[in-house]
Amino acid sequence: MSYIIACYKWVVDEADIRINPDLSIDTKKSKGKISDYDKNAIEAAVQAANILGGKSLGLTFGGPETRLSLKDALSRGPAEGCWISTGEAAKADAAVTAKALAAAIQKISDVSLVFCAEGASDTYARQTAPRIGAILDWPVVTSVSKLDIEGSTLTAVRKLDDCLQTVKVDLPAVVSVLPEINDAPIPGLKAVLAAGKKPVTEIKAEELGIDFSPKTDVTEIKGYLMNRKNIILSEGEAADKVKELAAYLRKEGVL
Amino acid sequence: MSEEEKFDVIIIGAGPAGSSCAYTLAREGKSVLMIERGDTPGSKNVTGGRFYTYALEMLDSGLYEEAALERKVTHEQIMLLSGDRSISIDYHEPGFNTGGEAPMSYTILRANFDEWLAEKAEEMGAMLACGIRVEELIERDGKIVGVRAGEDEMYADVVVAADGVNSFMAQKAGLIKDIEAHTVGVGVKEVIELPARTIEERFNLKEGEGAARMILGCTEGIHGGGFLYTNQDSISLGCVFMPAKAAERGKTIHEIFQDFKMHPSIHPLLQGGLTVEYGAHLVSEAGYRGIPRKIYREGFLMVGDAAGFVINTGYSIRGIDLAMLSGIAAARAIIDAENTAEVGPQYLKELDEIKIIPAMKAADGFFDVLETPGLYDKMPNLANDVFNNLFTVDGGVPGSIKKDVMRLIKENGLSMWQLIKFGLKGVKSL
Repeated sequence: MSYIIACYKWVVDEADIRINPDLSIDTKKSKGKISDYDKNAIEAAVQAANILGGKSLGLTFGGPETRLSLKDALSRGPAEGCWISTGEAAKADAAVTAKALAAAIQKISDVSLVFCAEGASDTYARQTAPRIGAILDWPVVTSVSKLDIEGSTLTAVRKLDDCLQTVKVDLPAVVSVLPEINDAPIPGLKAVLAAGKKPVTEIKAEELGIDFSPKTDVTEIKGYLMNRKNIILSEGEAADKVKELAAYLRKEGVL
Repeated sequence: MSEEEKFDVIIIGAGPAGSSCAYTLAREGKSVLMIERGDTPGSKNVTGGRFYTYALEMLDSGLYEEAALERKVTHEQIMLLSGDRSISIDYHEPGFNTGGEAPMSYTILRANFDEWLAEKAEEMGAMLACGIRVEELIERDGKIVGVRAGEDEMYADVVVAADGVNSFMAQKAGLIKDIEAHTVGVGVKEVIELPARTIEERFNLKEGEGAARMILGCTEGIHGGGFLYTNQDSISLGCVFMPAKAAERGKTIHEIFQDFKMHPSIHPLLQGGLTVEYGAHLVSEAGYRGIPRKIYREGFLMVGDAAGFVINTGYSIRGIDLAMLSGIAAARAIIDAENTAEVGPQYLKELDEIKIIPAMKAADGFFDVLETPGLYDKMPNLANDVFNNLFTVDGGVPGSIKKDVMRLIKENGLSMWQLIKFGLKGVKSL
């Protein structure tokens, strides 16, 4: 039975991130979570596995803290979990991440479809899916808002700036999905309990025989302040104020 | 019903009561499922923040050494506010912090503590499912046999309601009615972050030591009081009010709390801090008489806040330790009972043995003391007036202190007789 893989990332919960007055970032009290859009990628993989009669698998790449993600990921439906574990993940760039994921996908071998989210909720770099596709030499379809699978053909609707493009590809393929692809359900009691019993494979990164040196080094992460214009329209009648506001917004190109 | 859908015990709520119960049961080899509504245990909780260590010792000796605790309480403080004045009493006992023995109490932050304790229960073999709300109890032949969450049903010999004050599960089981306003207080609390050194300087603490302060007169005369606990690098400051009385005042609880924070004796303690958490929660206020008439039925037990196990004496509040004790008592009853019909009566015996019921009975009188009219405004004001009188030197001939005090009692709308009655009531409740 072939595998349908959902790649997901364990990220720092942005709700807990604090930006200090000196704009340095404090993640000391932050907990991890599955990147929000990845929940849709997981659900897409589970649905596709049902259609294809395959097995859905949640695949992640990360440091020791990523172990916590597996129970949550598996409670969302995948039949199996797989974790590429390495301390190197913290400084990995998109190239390294894609190399690791692609190597794991090759190791799993019988794979017919790989799902990623369009971007991660921390960096939103939108590189993982295209890079995996390039390494595997598989077709890549990005920005997918709707998809159909028939036999070994996948038809996807891509949401572009101002139009919808429908494309067809033969499997195996790599697909990155937009959140509107599905409603990722909140796991129920039985799903949460079942998650603890599902098989999880841990792949030690060194087994994959890839070079973990990133091509991009992150030298600094800091917060930024938006300079606000602080214009207050307080004079005159309400109707005039609205007109004035509309004029300002037009000038700014908002309207 | 398959093997996978049945547990020996299902516990609803992974707070101190639920996790202690799960820990004890799992250690004895029972299959236990804890179902927690929050995404993590502790995420739904608001507590002042003091924990009495003996309860953890009772759960497992030495467990406290690795627990998620903040500071050992060595300073017990009482503060009486009136207007912009205040009287503070600080009882310092360094012995509460001597090495070798378990310190008597710690300040804690529940989000950390509850998560840690639930993890301990998991290590013992209990299962934990978070982010799940139990909607219904499943009843068969007059017995509670399981729970329903969404579309999922799960069965157990015993269901333990550890779902806190205003327990929906106990309501579903028909053991309590909807909450009555006069039996609960509304607690609001902020966690204000400050560097550990600053806290130690402001409260005159040694490293790792903490202060626990009860404050009277910060509630605009409404039945209630304030609390302040020093955590490692934050301060927990809060107020508890009787909600009905607060509504009559026409001031929101938040406004009263803001005034409290700005009090000249409180504000300097918080200055420069950053509020990182704001929460509100119900607090059971009725003590012994707040315990429901029945706290079990076949296949169902109530523990912790759900069963009303809170002692408020005015100078200290106990809830977390009683919650843990009741969780342990429930577990012992389940382990010892031969069948589900025996569990409930056995639980009552265990509660007696573990001294919850006797302790609550003993503290019952405080409920009346705390109902005394004038306790929350006139009396703190009188105390401050007396101190003002005592410390006023203006070159005049000082009057007789006795006469002055009598005059101040009158000025505060109190009578000697009222104070004597209050004193007697207080002595009686001791």
